[in-house]
Amino acid sequence: MTVDLLHLLHQALFGGLAAVGFGILFNFGWRDLPWCAASGALALGTRTLGQEAGWSLEAASFVAAAAVGCAGQLLHARLGIGTNALAAAGCIPMVPGLYAAQAILGLYALTVPHPDDPAATALTTLQFTLRVAFTIGAIPTALSIATHLLPTRDRSSS
Amino acid sequence: MREVAESTTSDLRSNLDPAFGEVQELDRVAEAALYAATVLLEAGVRAKLVHEDCSRIARALGAEHVELGSGYASFEITIARGTSRITRMVEVGALGVNYQLSHAMRELAQRIGRGRNISAEALSEMTRIKRETGRHAPWVVALATGIACAAFGRLLGMDWSAFIPVLASGAIGQSVRHSLLRRGANVFVVAACVAFLASGLAELGAQWADSTTLHVAMIASVLLLVPGVPVLNAHYDILDGYPTLGTARAVFVGMILIFMTTGVLIAQMLVGLQQ
Repeated sequence: MTVDLLHLLHQALFGGLAAVGFGILFNFGWRDLPWCAASGALALGTRTLGQEAGWSLEAASFVAAAAVGCAGQLLHARLGIGTNALAAAGCIPMVPGLYAAQAILGLYALTVPHPDDPAATALTTLQFTLRVAFTIGAIPTALSIATHLLPTRDRSSS
Repeated sequence: MREVAESTTSDLRSNLDPAFGEVQELDRVAEAALYAATVLLEAGVRAKLVHEDCSRIARALGAEHVELGSGYASFEITIARGTSRITRMVEVGALGVNYQLSHAMRELAQRIGRGRNISAEALSEMTRIKRETGRHAPWVVALATGIACAAFGRLLGMDWSAFIPVLASGAIGQSVRHSLLRRGANVFVVAACVAFLASGLAELGAQWADSTTLHVAMIASVLLLVPGVPVLNAHYDILDGYPTLGTARAVFVGMILIFMTTGVLIAQMLVGLQQ
């Protein structure tokens, strides 16, 4: 497996940036934002590595979310009850909003009076829909598994 | 004057009838626990943790038995002590995300759980936290949201030419969303309007900047509307054994996506970009 280091850094950087942006939108305090950035960078970095290894988006997202969840649990003593919220903030950039929008746009395209190549559009739409469903399912499942497999003294994190 | 009279009557009755005084005290406990539950749900905390904290507060304030029920727009509690038992329900407002508020409230719930407290003091402390927990300035949120959208665009393969147009349209979209929601507009209609505005502006800006990734730019500029936290909470709630609330959250997510995409589609048709 060859890793494009520049691409990996690019994805990690913009993953961290997106997580910080959403962290501010979700009213994280300034002190928590570096953790949001680290969480987002770890998530996108891991997902990129997985995809470069030839995994599907869903599998790579699952492993990335598990990595973020495990890191959060390991840092629980430092992060306190905000552990899971910070892990979730890092995983938000992996929510496949683009595919969700394309799936719904594909459904609209199928219902126009004379659709171009309806079979191909239907197939693409189905692929996007499944990809959204599996990825959205993979992220919280991985975070939950990490939370339950790595117990902390107080697991009641927001 | 009337309040003083009612209070005196109530005090007299509780002195004469201990069961009435017990119910009154349970009422105050329920009020404090329900207040915490409402704040936590509205701040985007998942159901299991809301139940844990609500139960912790009620027990610490003197309830011996606690039962809870949560819906998308309401929260119920039944608490008992000795032979007295009461059930109360509260309406829950729009579910948003406010990490600082939920974090402060959860810390307070844990503090209350560790010591013996008086319900009136607990309630006044919760009210103070809700009142004093600040939010980032709207312009900071708008700028951060624009940056997040542009970063999303880069993650999705958008070229650099579209970066600034997406950043600007995302920030404008967030400002308009904030303004409309503050005026009490319907959240779904707001999603469609903001999607139309942000994606239209992003496409025009990206065209002007000679971008070759117009479609990605249009979608990236509306990703601020994708309800990421409700997506995760819906899944968590179902996993944790609260399928009703989880399903309601999932329906909310689906509706937002439909309205968002409708806004993008209208912008595509008006601005002329073919899929």
